Amino acid sequence: MDNFFNKLVELFTTPQYIDSLLHGFLLTMQISFFAIIIGLVLGTIIALIDTAKKSKWMVLPKFICRVYVTIIRGTPMALQLFIMFFVIFAIRGFPQIIIAILAFGFNSAAYTAEVIRSGIQSVDVGQTEAGMALGLSRFTIFRRIVAPQAIKNIIPALGNEIITVIKETAIVSMVGMYDLNMAAKDIGSGQNMASYIVPMFVAALFYLAVIYLITFVIKRIEKTLRKSERRA
Amino acid sequence: MDEKIIRVKDLKKEFGENKVLRGVNFELGAGERVVVLGPSGSGKSTFLRCINRIEEPTAGEVYFSDTLITDKNIQKIRQDIGMVFQHFNLINNLTVMKNLTLAPVILKLMNEEAAEKKARGLLKHIDLLGKAEAYPASLSGGQKQRIAIVRAMMLNPKVMLFDEPTSALDPESIGDVLSLIREVAKAGMTMMIVTHEMNFAKEIATRIVFVDEGRIIEEGTPKEFFEHPKTLRVKEFLEKVL
Ligand SMILES: Nc1ncnc2c1ncn2[C@@H]1O[C@H](COP(=O)(O)OP(=O)(O)O)[C@@H](O)[C@H]1O
Ligand SMILES: [Mg+2]
Repeated sequence: MDNFFNKLVELFTTPQYIDSLLHGFLLTMQISFFAIIIGLVLGTIIALIDTAKKSKWMVLPKFICRVYVTIIRGTPMALQLFIMFFVIFAIRGFPQIIIAILAFGFNSAAYTAEVIRSGIQSVDVGQTEAGMALGLSRFTIFRRIVAPQAIKNIIPALGNEIITVIKETAIVSMVGMYDLNMAAKDIGSGQNMASYIVPMFVAALFYLAVIYLITFVIKRIEKTLRKSERRA
Repeated sequence: MDEKIIRVKDLKKEFGENKVLRGVNFELGAGERVVVLGPSGSGKSTFLRCINRIEEPTAGEVYFSDTLITDKNIQKIRQDIGMVFQHFNLINNLTVMKNLTLAPVILKLMNEEAAEKKARGLLKHIDLLGKAEAYPASLSGGQKQRIAIVRAMMLNPKVMLFDEPTSALDPESIGDVLSLIREVAKAGMTMMIVTHEMNFAKEIATRIVFVDEGRIIEEGTPKEFFEHPKTLRVKEFLEKVL
């Protein structure tokens, strides 16, 4: 225990280690943040196409979205990452961080699309029919009636997806990127097995802190959204 | 009674293999109150829902005051066709007040102020002004349905369609809802009502229409219909329900 504490102190007092950890943490956060944004935007588009009224214009877009979601959800993230790095973006000098952001963003989009789609579909059709009977346009019905109710179902599941992305980015160490996970391994290496413990413990705390914060924020949002319906 | 508000010509509706409406012909004159009767699953709801195109008909034509209803003009026409649902369908994320004012304001029929004034008047009339800022989740079924009725009236429709407005209610609140429909009728509203309340049907209808297996098989005044049914099918039906 004494040794653990000493190592902890050593880690936090060695600028080089701190630097490595912070660099790794920053990369993890950058990849996660932009991947989640791409996932949200692309996922929303896919979900809207998926739930749009059936018409001859929508047949092909709907089909493409289904295929996309099926492929992404049916193959390992690590494989998708490899394909992006070694097949699609096998271009020398292309920034690794962008490839990683795209890989995780495209992956997250499929899951986000499913979350949003099921959120929209869980709203009672009677709500849409009421809007139709009142002469409102499809767009107005979506914006004023369906979307606000769907959000309540979507937020918690979206929180899970955000957390999953942050944790899953740890596999970028497999393509040699220096993220938080890699930094922990790097700091601990070259000594003995025990030397891994402290940096990995600290890295775990970093991940936990971020995820705890996100869980907290999501819970708050959920609470605020729920409140609006109970007022008597 | 010459002016026809709604004309339905050879209306058909299929859900896949299931032929639900098999050629319905029907006319609704101004001031008429038609009660639609028929066994469960005979297509009564589908008939009503095809009129304002909440359900897309498979074939046939529906006219609203001489205008053929199409995909293009239906949204505008719906303002003139009020609809009341079995399960009320108040909008859950909006207060009672917003449920009433949303459509007239968005459709630019009234400004916010005028809409709220009218809504308050109607809510006061049904004794629910105190619930103006409440959300639907906090209301009883009877309260929700009465609000749904005045919500439809906010747009000053030319006709109102009621699809089993009291079927989802507890016995105590049925009376309140029927009274309100009675009042709307007294004010001269043209209406179509699907209901299983036979006494109410007798009292309110100017005409009864009986639907069976997707067709109108008999129609007449309440007196003719209930006292001298023409078809065996209606006789059987009346024996069961009366
Ligand atoms: N959206 C739908 N999809 C498939 N079948 C439907 C749908 N709506 C109604 N039906 C079918 O149409 C038939 C008539 O239904 P409905 O018009 O609700 O009858 P009623 O109101 O007279 O009880 C039923 O067999 C029902 O299962
Ligand atoms: Mg029905």
